[in-house]
Amino acid sequence: MKNLSFDSSRWTLFNNLLVVGFALWGFAMQNYKKDEASFFQRVIIEFMAPLQKGTVSIKDQVAYTFDHYVDIVNTSKENVELKKKVETLENTIFQLNELERENERLKQLLEFGKDIPRKKVLAQVVSWDASNEFKVLRINKGANDGLSLLAPVITMTGLVGYVYRVSGNYSDILTILDQNNRVDSIVARTRTHGIVEGFSDFKCQLKYVPRTEQLEIGDEVITAGLGEIYPKGIKVGKISKIDKENFGITQRIVLEPSVNFQKLEEVVVLIEDNEKVSATETDINEQREER
Amino acid sequence: MRYTIGEVALGLLKTLFLLIIVEMFTTTFLPAIGIENFKPAFSVLIVLFLAFKIETPLLPFLILIIQYVHSAFSIEGWGAGTFVGILVSISVRYVKDMLNFTSALSTIIVVQIFQIIWFVFISLMLSMKQGDFSGFFSYIGSNIPESIFLSLISHHFFKLLDNFWMVDRKEAGMVL
Repeated sequence: MKNLSFDSSRWTLFNNLLVVGFALWGFAMQNYKKDEASFFQRVIIEFMAPLQKGTVSIKDQVAYTFDHYVDIVNTSKENVELKKKVETLENTIFQLNELERENERLKQLLEFGKDIPRKKVLAQVVSWDASNEFKVLRINKGANDGLSLLAPVITMTGLVGYVYRVSGNYSDILTILDQNNRVDSIVARTRTHGIVEGFSDFKCQLKYVPRTEQLEIGDEVITAGLGEIYPKGIKVGKISKIDKENFGITQRIVLEPSVNFQKLEEVVVLIEDNEKVSATETDINEQREER
Repeated sequence: MRYTIGEVALGLLKTLFLLIIVEMFTTTFLPAIGIENFKPAFSVLIVLFLAFKIETPLLPFLILIIQYVHSAFSIEGWGAGTFVGILVSISVRYVKDMLNFTSALSTIIVVQIFQIIWFVFISLMLSMKQGDFSGFFSYIGSNIPESIFLSLISHHFFKLLDNFWMVDRKEAGMVL
């Protein structure tokens, strides 16, 4: 094996310069709005995401075991057989209840937004971003399920974010909690426009609202439908705090997101239904010809 | 401590394996048990170890590979981390003689100092990239609890990495 210590100071200097240049180029190219996953990143994501998914399953099993087994450690031996039977039945009931609850959630999710003319893909949350600075979550659906970059992601309670990075079977979602995600929104009651941005501690802020606008705590904020990412009318959150300084032309508004991100398990990704779009275009063309 | 290409490759493979495990711990296990706001930056700890203890001209590439794998778990990307990692590794070279990792306390203090330097650089770069310096201090502040945790475990974490990179044997001048 060749020893790299030979003239290593020159090598080090050269390598430092080379990689620093490459890193600066990479940083300049880094887009915090959307990202085309490279081949190697896709390989890593595809390889690791199933393990992340498996970890969640293991956690569920451990939690179940903890909840149902630890409690019966101190029971008398006489009841062991009986307990086992009860436990088996409880296990079955628990699984059935879980299935029922999951079915109900999925049903509600599918029924939610029937008016939105887009195809819906159900997905499960697999993990969160490794960095504190970015509020990104990974779901178990990707390009193979029809997901594409910038596809909006919702739940039945409101807006989650959009698809930031996509690989074959998994996608990263830039949530509305992230400072890089800006949602053109309106206050439902007053129709006041503003931009929702991620803030801190699972909260958002509504920016660029003039001081003259009379908003109230509890006012609902919905998507404006501008910006070509989110459909109009999806709940974003409710105003939880308003600060009007003595100076400046805007007011500082904090939002409580409609979605409880700390308990997020399933989401719906909205995909442009090309068939419907083309059908609509055909209808318009036919109407024009008739006129 | 000089390394051959084979030793570097082997050490890197083991380190990447460890990195993937700890990234999964941060991105999946902690959120799964309800801890969403505590995300220790293990990739930073690994890069600091490499900067402190591994002497090879390939160090910039090692940092690049570590950050690239980290970018699969975070949209932070690899560019900023690689750039800052190399800056830190260069600065470490100038103060190397003063650094001491023999006791747990000295390791904790040194790692904490360099983590703060790291976060200052990263925060500066992210702020410049976004053209908004309002989050400069909040980024540094939000990472302090995790950095303290990482500093506290750094002594044992480094011992594990010492084994991966055969640091003790290298220091003793043993030929493999």
